[in-house]
Amino acid sequence: MPSSSAQSDASSGSTAGATPSTVLVVDDEPVSRASMAARLKRLGYRVLQAGEGKTGLELLRRERPELTILDWMMPEMDGPSFCELVRQDSAIQSSQILMMTGHDRPEEIAEGLARGADDFLSKAASGQEITARVQAGLRTAMLIRRLEHATDEIRRKQDVLEQELQSAAQYVKSLLPPAGMLLPGLELAHAYRPSLALGGDLFNVLRWDNDQIGLYLLDASGHGVAPALRSAGLSTFLRGGGLRHQPGSRDPGGILTEANKQFPLTEEGTYFTIIFARFDLKARTLSFASAGHSGAFLHHSSGGVTWLKNSSLPLGFCVPNIYETIHLPVPLSPGDRLYLFSDGVYEVPAPSGEMWGQERFAQTVLESGELPMADVIARTVERAAQWLGHDQFPDDVALMGIELTA
Amino acid sequence: MQTRERPVPNGVILDIVGDLTYANRELFKSAVEAVRQKGYRHLILNMPEVRFVDSSGLGLLAIVSQNFKLTQGRVSLLKPQSYVREIMTLANIPKLIPVYDNEQDAVAAYQMAA
Repeated sequence: MPSSSAQSDASSGSTAGATPSTVLVVDDEPVSRASMAARLKRLGYRVLQAGEGKTGLELLRRERPELTILDWMMPEMDGPSFCELVRQDSAIQSSQILMMTGHDRPEEIAEGLARGADDFLSKAASGQEITARVQAGLRTAMLIRRLEHATDEIRRKQDVLEQELQSAAQYVKSLLPPAGMLLPGLELAHAYRPSLALGGDLFNVLRWDNDQIGLYLLDASGHGVAPALRSAGLSTFLRGGGLRHQPGSRDPGGILTEANKQFPLTEEGTYFTIIFARFDLKARTLSFASAGHSGAFLHHSSGGVTWLKNSSLPLGFCVPNIYETIHLPVPLSPGDRLYLFSDGVYEVPAPSGEMWGQERFAQTVLESGELPMADVIARTVERAAQWLGHDQFPDDVALMGIELTA
Repeated sequence: MQTRERPVPNGVILDIVGDLTYANRELFKSAVEAVRQKGYRHLILNMPEVRFVDSSGLGLLAIVSQNFKLTQGRVSLLKPQSYVREIMTLANIPKLIPVYDNEQDAVAAYQMAA
């Protein structure tokens, strides 16, 4: 008669002071089960016993023994069915199971292994073999537990790191200007998509007074935490008091010349490209300076385009270096839009490897010119993602536009 | 990326095979550092087998050039492919690092400068 009772016998460990390993014996045959339990206790293990599969599973879930010795032939739930249930349960699926069988036919062993057993033990095995197989099973169990603990620790640390990254990403986003009206007659819209949690692209608008604004878009080489921190540092420098006390602090070229001194190349060779523009709302004039950045154009309400380009070195490539201010000769008209962008928005590879490119990007912006500027920007980023085939951009994407509305 | 050193009069040629990118930055830096440790003053980066240079690669070229200049050394670029040359030109690298189309000119230019 199969026993439905569960017994838990704790025996002293073989090594004084060490917690003995726990072995669960699941066997409906009382004599066989008791004999195995006695042998294991003599070896110093803590032994749990179950007379049928259901009770065995309960003990396995509750006590998490290092090893389960399981009889193949049992009524209601046989050994292979027990194994299958264990392998389907994420809480206990890594349990080590040693299956006992009266036969040692290869096809039976193959079936048992396929259904979830880790090793086999003949009921006719010698005491020496039983000891050896139990020890082998326990060694494997220990290694698996160590691996599980290490995995849990890595996951825990990863969670902490991800939370910190999210906090940092929120901070970087807080540095971006809010979209909407900058000054009466001047609107701002933008899109920002870092390739990782943290991006090295940043842009902002500096409201110097009621008539003048400075605006910039910078791109730190590399991706991730270090470029994001460096970008935040440069952004703080551009926004902060350092410039106010510099002669010509509203001159784009002067600002980049000073930034070039303050932000040299790192030993890793990381650097910034940046475009800095100044717009005078009263005179409607635009001037700019660029440090190795080629991403900006003016879309005139008449339909024409003026690229803001100037051959120049990225920040830090040559110190000292003078960055030149370029003054656009024609004042802006109502409806003119200025776009600043990073290369991540057009250096977008299709699945075939072909790049979207600056030309297709500009064409998309221009052909959407009748739409509100925010829609132009959203549509352009959407087109880039369509070219890419998904929306995980390989580089940071930053696109900022300002429009003279009146 | 693979690199190979070839000593030339007053310097060394570093043959580079592969892309000069963020992913290969440690290999590139190690190869350049090994050259510096040996005391070479003129490093010629031989680039016909380099298919692509990304923004990190451009930064590495700039910092290597700066570091050699600090010790009165010099870096030269040799035979970049047209696409790589275009990328470097956009970043104004040729303003910092001379580019040569043949080995003899690259070697002779440093001897003349020295």
